[in-house]
Amino acid sequence: MSIKYQSQKIAEHFYTFAVILFLVQVIVGIIAAVQFIKPDIFILNFNTIRTLHINAMVVWLLAGMMGATYYVVPEESETEIWSMPLAKFQFWATVVATTAVVLGYIWMGLNPQANSPIMGITPLNEGREYIEAPRWADVLIVISVLTFLFVNFMTMLKTKKWTGIQGTLIGGLTFLALMYLPGMFYTKSMVKDQFWWWWVVHLWVEGAWEVIAGALLAFMLMKVVGAKREVVEKWMYIEVGFVMFTGILGTGHHYYWIGTPGYWLWVGGIFSSLEPLPLLFMVWDAFRTTRDARNVENRAGLYYTVAHAIFNFVGAGLWGVIHTLPQVNKWTHGTQITTAHGHLAFYGAYVLLVLSMIYITLPAIRGVKEFNSSRAFASFWWMTISMVFIVLTITGAGMVQTYMERLMGLDYVAVKANYNLWFWILRAIFGVGFLYGVWIFVLDFFKLGREPMPAAIPGIEKA
Amino acid sequence: MTNKAARNLFIFGSLFFFVIFLGLTFDTMGKLDKRAPEITEKVNAGKMAWHKYDCIGCHTILGNGSYFAPELAKITEKKPKGYLKQFLMDPKAVNPGASMPKLGITSEEADNLLTFLDWTAQVDTNGWPPKPILASAVGAGGKESSAGQRLYQSMGCSGCHMINGIGGTTGPDLSRVGSTRDRAWLAGHFRDPQAYVPKSAMPKVEAPDADIEQLTDYMLTLK
Repeated sequence: MSIKYQSQKIAEHFYTFAVILFLVQVIVGIIAAVQFIKPDIFILNFNTIRTLHINAMVVWLLAGMMGATYYVVPEESETEIWSMPLAKFQFWATVVATTAVVLGYIWMGLNPQANSPIMGITPLNEGREYIEAPRWADVLIVISVLTFLFVNFMTMLKTKKWTGIQGTLIGGLTFLALMYLPGMFYTKSMVKDQFWWWWVVHLWVEGAWEVIAGALLAFMLMKVVGAKREVVEKWMYIEVGFVMFTGILGTGHHYYWIGTPGYWLWVGGIFSSLEPLPLLFMVWDAFRTTRDARNVENRAGLYYTVAHAIFNFVGAGLWGVIHTLPQVNKWTHGTQITTAHGHLAFYGAYVLLVLSMIYITLPAIRGVKEFNSSRAFASFWWMTISMVFIVLTITGAGMVQTYMERLMGLDYVAVKANYNLWFWILRAIFGVGFLYGVWIFVLDFFKLGREPMPAAIPGIEKA
Repeated sequence: MTNKAARNLFIFGSLFFFVIFLGLTFDTMGKLDKRAPEITEKVNAGKMAWHKYDCIGCHTILGNGSYFAPELAKITEKKPKGYLKQFLMDPKAVNPGASMPKLGITSEEADNLLTFLDWTAQVDTNGWPPKPILASAVGAGGKESSAGQRLYQSMGCSGCHMINGIGGTTGPDLSRVGSTRDRAWLAGHFRDPQAYVPKSAMPKVEAPDADIEQLTDYMLTLK
């Protein structure tokens, strides 16, 4: 396996950045988990650590998707990337801007007064979950994403092969760029603030990102098992179509209790209950396509791809739908149940997606036909089993919290500090297990294709 | 279905649902201001302080945020403002067990934050958060509650104090207060907490002598 177009190598830049940030995300995640038990343990307070945890995640997943796109578009368009200098500039600009934003968060964490508003704008941290990046960084992010879209669009325009996969991919990315804008203005009303905030957060992860995931899943199924393009693309359209049909109005499940009119209870309840269906299609699609596959060279890639489809359904679908009806959500809203859903959904839908893209495209970028996949499997099991238990412990904590605080009326702090203590301790322990899995993956990423293959054992022929 | 039909279904179907979503958004925007009190300059200044200190990095508000610290949208209905103000400026000084660090919030910022949280408390949230089932049922299970117990409930004492596991953690636990304090101390403390506990953030209980006496009676039963 090797790449057809030299410029596809740019993907590796993005992957490297993504992998490093993944490691950072998980390390700060463990600090945050320990802070649940002992809040004063670290020099930075929980809010800064959590900001780093979720921002590192958003940026590394985006960087992974950008890398994957730079790989997919030349292959689908059958040409080199339109402008390598511009693509490289976009990469380095993203790295520099991200670093500046992170330094700003840490500075503010050490000295909260450094975030005092200048002309009505907080300069280091917007104080809004997930989109903490300050306004100047918002502008840089928009410039970076627009440059990225422009380079890819111009690449497609060179040969005008409008394949379904790259069309859907670029469509999802354009939607992603547009949906960043509703988070870029200030409103005096906290209700309107949260209303527009959900446009960004929900329409990213349950809209644009799922469309990108659908397109990449189709590409990976073609690559790994040689599935037929016409079949894969048709199912891709149906899947991402249903993602949008249910996901757009499914935004309503965030508009139950924030001061918005009552009709959202109906709209959100009905449409968000249907959101798991397209994710179930994807699981079925992945199994149907790969069931009869023989002689798969890249078994690690296949493994991660199918696992992505399954955990996308379980994490984003099942763990979401259990608390999406207003009658249930009334009691669970704002509890650890949401945290549990968030962890499994991001892991299944996007972490495994980017890792499968890396395992499918990196061997070609590094120019190796085969690679030792034992580390890939080891890291998969360490990460997946640990994440499942992290999610189960947080779900347990959420059930205790819902029952004791919301139904019985016990104090929030009493429940958190006494009754849920063991859940926090177990969660931190499984967090270390997850970190171990990530560490194996990071090693594998840097070593893949750069070490000699173990000698084949004589007498055992490949089936 | 042909690929082209599937593609058109995806594109036009998505546009169709997005247009509906836009329509609902437009309608909602017209209704939001009627579902909440007026936003004064002070409310807005409080919201700016909310963002400046990244409060959402630990707390939730209207149920959204970080799930690490208590929900704050209706906090001003639960705890006395005087306590909240002192807490915001120096949390551990009024509640040594508090996890919140001292962030350097000024007196003016604390006032603005409380005005902002007063605003969020009055937003029409379709009945969220619901009243806890058990706490609402206290006194209903065949057992008549005493006059002092009813006063304790109606004055919202349990917002800060805990009795037998039910109630807040910001003030001292009262489950056994009857065995550590006597009648004179309790009654005097109700009238002027700072005279007995110099740094106390508890507000004076402004009530007739009869009520103070009944509350004291209730406290003395807690052993």
